[in-house]
Amino acid sequence: MNKELEHKFISEFQEHQKIIHKVCRIYTNNQESHNDLFQEITIQLWKAYPKFRGDSKLSTWMYRIGLNTAITLYRKSKRTIKTQDFDTVLHRIKSTDYDNTEEEQLNLMYKAIHQLSDIDKGLIFLYLEDKNYREISETLGISEVNARVKMNRIKTRLKTILNP
Amino acid sequence: MDELELLKKDWKKQDANFPKLSYNEIYKMIHKKSSSIVKWIFIICIAELFFWSAINLFVPEKYLEIYEKFNLKTFLYITQGLHYFVILVFIYLFYKNYKSISVIDNTNLLMQKIIKTRKTVNYYVYYNITLYVLLSIVVNIIMFSNPETLIEALNPDNKAIDDDKFFNIMLIAQVIALFVVLGLLWGYYRIIYGILLKRLNRNFKELETLND
Repeated sequence: MNKELEHKFISEFQEHQKIIHKVCRIYTNNQESHNDLFQEITIQLWKAYPKFRGDSKLSTWMYRIGLNTAITLYRKSKRTIKTQDFDTVLHRIKSTDYDNTEEEQLNLMYKAIHQLSDIDKGLIFLYLEDKNYREISETLGISEVNARVKMNRIKTRLKTILNP
Repeated sequence: MDELELLKKDWKKQDANFPKLSYNEIYKMIHKKSSSIVKWIFIICIAELFFWSAINLFVPEKYLEIYEKFNLKTFLYITQGLHYFVILVFIYLFYKNYKSISVIDNTNLLMQKIIKTRKTVNYYVYYNITLYVLLSIVVNIIMFSNPETLIEALNPDNKAIDDDKFFNIMLIAQVIALFVVLGLLWGYYRIIYGILLKRLNRNFKELETLND
């Protein structure tokens, strides 16, 4: 693969890299796994890049490859050393923006998300990213109706966890 | 505020907190090797294709002499010719399915293609096992229906042995060998599927139930 393409990829990737961080945020709960998954997604993106025609937005394409890697291709690394979970050291701004109850609710919410299945995590991720049901169904390969039904179930589940 | 809205608001705030990787860091990253399951499946499949086609080459010459005594040599050569043709067909199908795996497909389709590729090689292994079992049955029937030739072939020095005992031991040994081989294969597949495909199968099943 030529240098020009490599340069183009890295520049474009730099601009959108937060998408990949967010996929890792949903699917991993410690820094090492986060970095591991981030690396695998980046490699997959680069491998697929020569076939990227630009007929869809690069970000859309990154969402798809990011999720596919997290759900299907990625093998959890065995050498993961137990580091402190994100649930306690969150990437979030722990600030005065939230009162204690909200802070606690968010903590619970992130914990609950980490307990969801890989597919459910994908759905909630796309929901948090403001994707509509058509995009969600196209990314995961399920019907729009099923995506909607499933999403409602996840929402109810999360709410039950918060308000038992 | 609705909890999910609160989560969404928080989710959007984290953008600024992620580390920004530099050009050099990304450059280094894309030159590292992938450890995706597709790569592992490819390596394992190639090893299996090779193993089962190479196993034939390890039949000792002495056995061929024995088969010759039963006029089985031509039969075995024809079977072998057909066998290699079938191997080629399997390799072609495997290659075709493997090449169709694309990370740009939707999740459901991607999983289907990976499973299909893996299944091609599974069928290949089933085919091999069936072939070996069938061939041993055929060869055994022919050998045991000519007991004199069999004794002559396996006991060229004409040592004093009890014929019935000899046949019994030979049969039992073959059955035990068959079960040992099948047991090893079963264990091998349990491990391979356990490590590589458990998660994929589970996720695929979940998507499938969604689409039912």
